[in-house]
Formats: sequence, C-alpha cells, structure tokens
Amino acid sequence: MVRYLALFAVILTLIPLPATAHGPSRQKVIETIEINAPVEKVWMVVSNYKDMTWHPDIAKSEAMDGYEPEKTKRKLTFKTGGVITDKISAYTPDNKYLSFMTEEVDLKTMPVSGYSSYFTLTDAGGKTKVEWKGAFYRGYVNNDPPPELSDAAAIKAVTAYQKKGLEALKAKIEAAP
Amino acid sequence: MFGASNGVPGASAENPGTGDMREAFVTSQLADTLTIIDLTTMKSAAEIKISGRPAGIAVAPGGKHAFVTSPESKELTIIDATARTVVKRLQVGRGPLGIAFNPTDNRVWIADWYDHKLLVRDGGTGDALGEVTVGKSPSGVAVTPDGRFVLSADRDSDAVSIVDTATLKVTATVAVGGHPFGISIDSTGTRAYTANVTSNDVSIIDIPAKKLIGTVKVGARPYGVALAQGRAFVTNQAAGTVTVFDLASLNIIATIPAGSYPEGIAASLDQRYVYIACWDDNTLVRLDANTLAVTAKTTTAEGPRAFGQFLR
Repeated sequence: MVRYLALFAVILTLIPLPATAHGPSRQKVIETIEINAPVEKVWMVVSNYKDMTWHPDIAKSEAMDGYEPEKTKRKLTFKTGGVITDKISAYTPDNKYLSFMTEEVDLKTMPVSGYSSYFTLTDAGGKTKVEWKGAFYRGYVNNDPPPELSDAAAIKAVTAYQKKGLEALKAKIEAAP
Repeated sequence: MFGASNGVPGASAENPGTGDMREAFVTSQLADTLTIIDLTTMKSAAEIKISGRPAGIAVAPGGKHAFVTSPESKELTIIDATARTVVKRLQVGRGPLGIAFNPTDNRVWIADWYDHKLLVRDGGTGDALGEVTVGKSPSGVAVTPDGRFVLSADRDSDAVSIVDTATLKVTATVAVGGHPFGISIDSTGTRAYTANVTSNDVSIIDIPAKKLIGTVKVGARPYGVALAQGRAFVTNQAAGTVTVFDLASLNIIATIPAGSYPEGIAASLDQRYVYIACWDDNTLVRLDANTLAVTAKTTTAEGPRAFGQFLR
C-alpha cells in the first residue's frame, strides 16, 4: 500500500501542471539588481521574449512572434531537460514593463504553478535598476503537500532562479561592448 | 459638525466620508495578519495575527463578529469586531477559503476548496450545523439578503451552485464562464455576478429563474465584483484595473487603474464608495462610485486579499 502511494506521489510530480490548477495561497518573491548600463540596453535583452537564454538554467528558448497578451506563447527547455511553457500577460514598452505567466510546468524543474514574472526597469542615474517580481503558487495543488512541493520549496526555487537570472543578466550586459 | 460638501453627515471637503462604514477588515495572506483599517482616517487601527495564510473574510455592516478563513491551517477564526480580539479558532474542513455570513440567521457559510462542499457554522459558537456538496473547488460564496439561498462559485466546474438554505439541497447548477472565483449578490437578492478568472468575463445569473442571463467581457484575470449605483465594479488582477459596467445596459463605462493585483472589492452600504485591496501593492484603495476617482489609499500588511464582504 505504501509502495503504491509512493509511486502515485512520484507520478504526480512528473505530470506537467496546467496553469489553471493551483491552490488558494499565492506567494511573492522580489529580486532586484543594478546593472551598469542604460535602460535601453537592458530593456533590449529583457524584453526579447523569444530569447531567454540569458538565464543560465535555460538551454533552449522558442516563442511565437509578437507580444500579444494572452496569445503569445513560449517554450523554455532547461539544461536539466525539463520544459516550462509560458504566455505573455502584459507588455508596455513605454514603461519598460513585461510580464508573462507559466502554463505547463515540469515540477522537477520548478515546484510551482501559475508563476507570473514581472520585469520593471527604471533609470538610476544612467544605470538601470531591474526588478523581477514573481507571484506564484506551490507545485502541489492539494493541501498537506510533501516537503519537496511545499510553499517553502516553491519560494526557495523561485528565489534562486530569479537571483541567478539577474546576476547572469548583469554579467552579460556589462561584459558586452 | 455636519459638513455640506456632499450631503453625508459628518463629511466635509477634508473628510469625504466613508460610505457609512467604519472599518475595513483586510486579510493579509502573506503576513498572516488581519489588518483593520479605520475608514474615517484611512489608517490601520489594529493588526491581528492569524496564522494559516488567511484569505476569506465575512463581516456584516456593524456586525458583532468577523469571520476569517485560513486555507493552509484549515481554520475558521471568529473575531470580536469591536474588541478586535480573537474569540475562537476552529478546524474546519480541508481547505476553507470563501466565506459568507448572513446576520438574519447568524449562519456562516464556508466553501471548502478541497472537499468540494459548503460547510455551515453557527456565527456565535462556531458549531457545525450541516454541509452540502457543491461543484469542484468552490471559491466565492454569497447569501441572498433574506438568507433563503446561498450561492457558491465552483471554480473547477465552471458553474455556480444555488443552494436552498432551509433544506441544504442544491436546487440548481448554472454554467458560467471559465473558473468563477468571486461572487456577489445584489441587494434585491435576484441577481448574482461571478468574476471568471480564465475567460476574463463576468457572468450574470437570474437567481429566481436559475439561469445565466448575461456575460460581460472585462480585464485580465478578474477576481471579484462589487455593486454600487447601478454599476458593477470588477477587479482585474493581471491588468491592475477595475472595470466598471452599467447593470442595466451591460455597457462598459470605464476601466480604471487601481494598483498592482487588485483583488478583494466591496461597496459601502450607501453605495457611495468601493474599496479595493491590491495584493501586490499592499494597499486598500477607496474609489468614488459616482465620479470613479480614487479618493484615498492606505497601506496594509503584506499580501492583502480581502476575499468576501470586508466592510463593517
């Protein structure tokens, strides 16, 4: 009996979750970084929805053309092999603002569901302050989650992912001529 | 003493009035806190620690008690609204979220998200009075003013269950838009409005006829609906706006920027004001329901949702 339950739990973790399935408690993680480059230069990289390979965890980034909220979709293949798909929620280039939300999430890649990312860029005296705000739910949609799919696990994974991403973004942009 | 600027007793140009409400009881989910905001000053008057990720709230105008659900710890917390203290905490179901209270019979209705039921509790003692199985993942709950019917927005069924409160039987299931979340009933008890998260629209139900009678397209990922001055006010989480539409014609009147992740929304008793909790900004915003201007804003504890009727 225990073996079947364990097997079921494993199967559950491998099934990609649709974005519409999530629990009642949303979490929030905000990471910021200052990049020594003007806003336009940073925006050019961040707003390029098609190519998110500036994030070191991502091996392949494939997206539709355009920036239509609720319509433009992307598939991110991670270096570990897992896949996350997402969709643009909002895009206002005048405000240097882009947001997108996950649709299908491989829980082994990130134990989350309904993960929205919001990028806001602001000028800081010629440099750029980049804020990456994440709003998400844990990967386990029922109550009493196992530890690896708990709120804490989701927060830890998103924090690491956003921190790592911003550090790589900074290094890439500052190294460029 | 009695200001002249807009006819509201006690109002003046400096203090536009509160819409006859004294306080807003705002559940701050990320902070495990209930923030009680004094609406005359638009300042936090008290913060009560409530563990378990509090989200749902029900308090009647001038009500003695306020009721809060904590879906993670599976608890109902009963609060003495005047003393601002916790009276009781009870284990309720497996995922209590949406909650409604009708002072005519002192019954509290709690939607259990994981057990797919409405649980009934006594508002004074918290004693269990019954339960009724509804659709999948019931979210918002609302009771008609006469207390005869309770409606649940069954999110994963894309439907609303209409329950006879005397018999605790589902008398009708009405198909609505994608993932109905918040639900509000008008003061006549004949119309219900659901905010449908995945279809970005509001469904309108004729309660006596038990049918869907209209659909209005709103903004991205709507959360809740408030009704005031012949208008519906709908919070659009992902758009950061409130859509206002006319209840008679269903025409859109305006789309107003409200803040980041506007969620819980409720109208004052006299319908002068609509209050909105913005989850990401950590604010409570006051909107004039007539002019559609934001007249005040204040800070709440982290992650305010105010899911339910939160004005006292």
